[in-house]
Amino acid sequence: MKRQLGAMCLAVAALGTVVVTTANASSGDAPVTLTVGLMQDIDSLNPTAGYLVSAYETWNMQYATLTDKAADDFATEPSLAESWASDDGLTYTYTLREGLKWSDGEPLTADDVAWTINTSRDQEWINHFATTGNLTATAIDDRTVEIVSSVPDPKLPTMDVYILPRHIWEEQAAGDITTYPAEDGVGSGPFTLTSRNAGQDWTMAANPNFWRGKPAVDQVVFRVYTDGSAMVAALKSGEIDFVHDVPAELFDGLSEESGIVTLTGAQGGFSELAMNGMAGGLGDGHPALQDLTVRHAIAQAIDRPQLFDRVAHNQGQLLGTLGVSPDPVWTPEIPADQQLNYDPERAKQSLEDAGYKDTDGDGIREMPDGSQPLKFRYAELNDSDQAAPIRELITGWLKEIGIDTEVSTYDQTQLTDVIASGEYDLFVWGWTPFVDPDPMLSYFTCAQLTTDIESVGYNDANWCSPEYDALYDQQKVELDRAKRIDIVHQMLTLFYTESTYVVLYHDADTQAYRTDRFEGWTRQPKDTGPVLFTNTSPSYWTLTPIAGGAGGDDDSSNTGLIIGLAVGGVALLGLIAFFVARSRKQQDDKE
Amino acid sequence: MSGTVESGDEVKPVVASPAAIRWERRRASMGDAWGRLRSDRLAMISLFVLLGFAVMAIITPYVSDRADISAVNTADNPTWASPSSEFWLGTDHLGRSVALQVMWGARVSLFVGLAATLLTIVIGSVIGIVAGFFGGWTDSVLMRITDWFLVIPFLPTAIVLAAVLERSLWTIVFVIGITSWPSTARLVRSQVLSVRSRLYVDRARALGAGRVHVINRHIFPNVLPLVMASTTLAVPISILTETTLSFLGLGDPTQVSWGAILNEAREKGAIDRGAWWYYMPPGMAIVMVVLAFTLVGRATETVLDPRLRER
Repeated sequence: MKRQLGAMCLAVAALGTVVVTTANASSGDAPVTLTVGLMQDIDSLNPTAGYLVSAYETWNMQYATLTDKAADDFATEPSLAESWASDDGLTYTYTLREGLKWSDGEPLTADDVAWTINTSRDQEWINHFATTGNLTATAIDDRTVEIVSSVPDPKLPTMDVYILPRHIWEEQAAGDITTYPAEDGVGSGPFTLTSRNAGQDWTMAANPNFWRGKPAVDQVVFRVYTDGSAMVAALKSGEIDFVHDVPAELFDGLSEESGIVTLTGAQGGFSELAMNGMAGGLGDGHPALQDLTVRHAIAQAIDRPQLFDRVAHNQGQLLGTLGVSPDPVWTPEIPADQQLNYDPERAKQSLEDAGYKDTDGDGIREMPDGSQPLKFRYAELNDSDQAAPIRELITGWLKEIGIDTEVSTYDQTQLTDVIASGEYDLFVWGWTPFVDPDPMLSYFTCAQLTTDIESVGYNDANWCSPEYDALYDQQKVELDRAKRIDIVHQMLTLFYTESTYVVLYHDADTQAYRTDRFEGWTRQPKDTGPVLFTNTSPSYWTLTPIAGGAGGDDDSSNTGLIIGLAVGGVALLGLIAFFVARSRKQQDDKE
Repeated sequence: MSGTVESGDEVKPVVASPAAIRWERRRASMGDAWGRLRSDRLAMISLFVLLGFAVMAIITPYVSDRADISAVNTADNPTWASPSSEFWLGTDHLGRSVALQVMWGARVSLFVGLAATLLTIVIGSVIGIVAGFFGGWTDSVLMRITDWFLVIPFLPTAIVLAAVLERSLWTIVFVIGITSWPSTARLVRSQVLSVRSRLYVDRARALGAGRVHVINRHIFPNVLPLVMASTTLAVPISILTETTLSFLGLGDPTQVSWGAILNEAREKGAIDRGAWWYYMPPGMAIVMVVLAFTLVGRATETVLDPRLRER
């Protein structure tokens, strides 16, 4: 009698698995799956809350924009809007394509566009506001939307903000929109989200209502790896089709493999050592870091060419200024007399002159008033393959000029919190900019400081300057491109000389894909850009499976077979256990 | 020791005091044990290996400079160099000498291994003796706590603790100590239970010996051999755990230990690259130290516990 319950449980479990097996078996036509390996999980699927590259990639797939960017050169081209016109440069009228639909079948109208633009402006959505802050949109009819800018706006007519489905998001916007997990999977781009396992993977399915037509790839699976070599091994074995961020030290070896194409893409992304400027007022940053002398000394203590060689293996560019766009035209030349190049002797001398002396003879300098040593907390990411060598080098160099460090490692969410709370001294992280320099520039304005832990801003330099803000406002309304470039150059030079960020180098996106599965990989921009994780990632709708390669999907059907067999075995065992138990029970009853 | 045994120059039949007899016997039995240990060739080889590693760990700071394996000072060294006369075990991705890293790593790995073992043994012995000697509800409570620690899966707990606490060597020592004492406590308790019921303990009590005296004089000395054997067997486990945690990236990021070297070698693709000189030496060092400690531990156990001896 006692075993009955156990056997029943087993039998029920077996029934459940049998159903799964048949479900697996019945889907004879395996979907064409592109599997992408990367080392960064999504922070949030909500475009009003997230900020990681992986999340942007997902939004680029799920949410189409009014205007698209050409794969070759980022030129503005039609997307949801098929055409637009303006008489005075302030008012633009966009005409939407005919018959646009969201992935759930609801019509996509001018009303969705106007609602997104106006609400994002009113609620200051973090990823929209830099573009929509000065705009007012009106839906004239279902297919016509009129956008008015309050000031001359050099970015228009480009409208590259994600248009959100009003029928899903309106009720979220009534409360705090940033808390919405956004796992609804309703969008207008080539792919929409179907499932997500935090920390492991997420899956996007082709959107049959995409305005270019359903993509040739049925679904895209993003698999998160914590280990670069495991990810590369998975690519070699054919388990995944594409790798984003191949570890620099594996890149050369991988490019020699046959059947695998490696490429480096430049997008203006960079890695920086940031110092806590304490401008937001929160937290307990080291007071010495508010002294420009100390910041300059730190910048001069770092041998960036060696770092670039040893850590980045010379992939990317050895630039010391912020990367604000993939287009190099925005990058200024820093005048020779303002350059903060490696010069530890000068760094030591200027610290000495400013009164930072080693008074107790332990090799570490103290504050001029002797109150505390120059010992800085150094925060780094635990999932970056470059964090360890960068830390090893930077902390070593700082020690040479008499500055001590205390290392802590965090995951991305933790580090974001630490930065927002201001409880750090130094950290190493990076940014990847958009095509227009405005968003990246906006991050270091006073308005983006985190002054309240409840509303976290982008300004992780925790630095702010009225001069920079004034220049920012100027470039934002400058329609003459040459003049705007000049203003941006001034801003970047100012930011460089303030040295709150020491930009270590501009990284290259190191990517690799298998040649036997898909073709039609599109680099954006042409020849120099990456193929996925680009600004708008056109590859997702240009990729086609190679006959006999991706279509057959041998691996997954094999896996399916193995799973099926295993499940069948368990089911059999369960049934045997059930019958054994039942016969025992009958015996018990007889006795 | 009492002053009655000043060597036997004048006092001719030597009337040895009980203390002297005790010490004489202990010396004899130690000598006996040492003699038996010496006859175990594997154990002797292992002892020499351990001695070698200990000497290496101790002299490393005198023969090299820690700064030599700081990446800022290796700018001129080749990266991924295979072993040569200049770099006996080649260099890594930052041009650091692998041989020096293994030498410095020995200090950290051995320190953590021994410190964690000490913590394990101290906690385990105290709990085991108290539980076994006092019995009753003290025993029940302590043993339930021990059971509780025993059923928690060891590695996940260690990983969670190491991830939550601050990254430092002491954290690792603490994590290993706090997760591995229960088996020692059980072992010690069972021995205490058997010793407690021996006749001489009853006699000592009848003569009015207090608890502290009984524990100090009768229980503890009799449990000591067991604790010793258990210690030598706990060290390799501690070293392996330190290696595991460092390999998983949960160690102190600023310290070089064998596990940390292995972790970095794997992360930087030493295996794909075929740079065997980067991952083999720390791996071999771990295997050798762990094997040596285990062999010595087994031999000690055999020597000290007559029941395990081959007849």
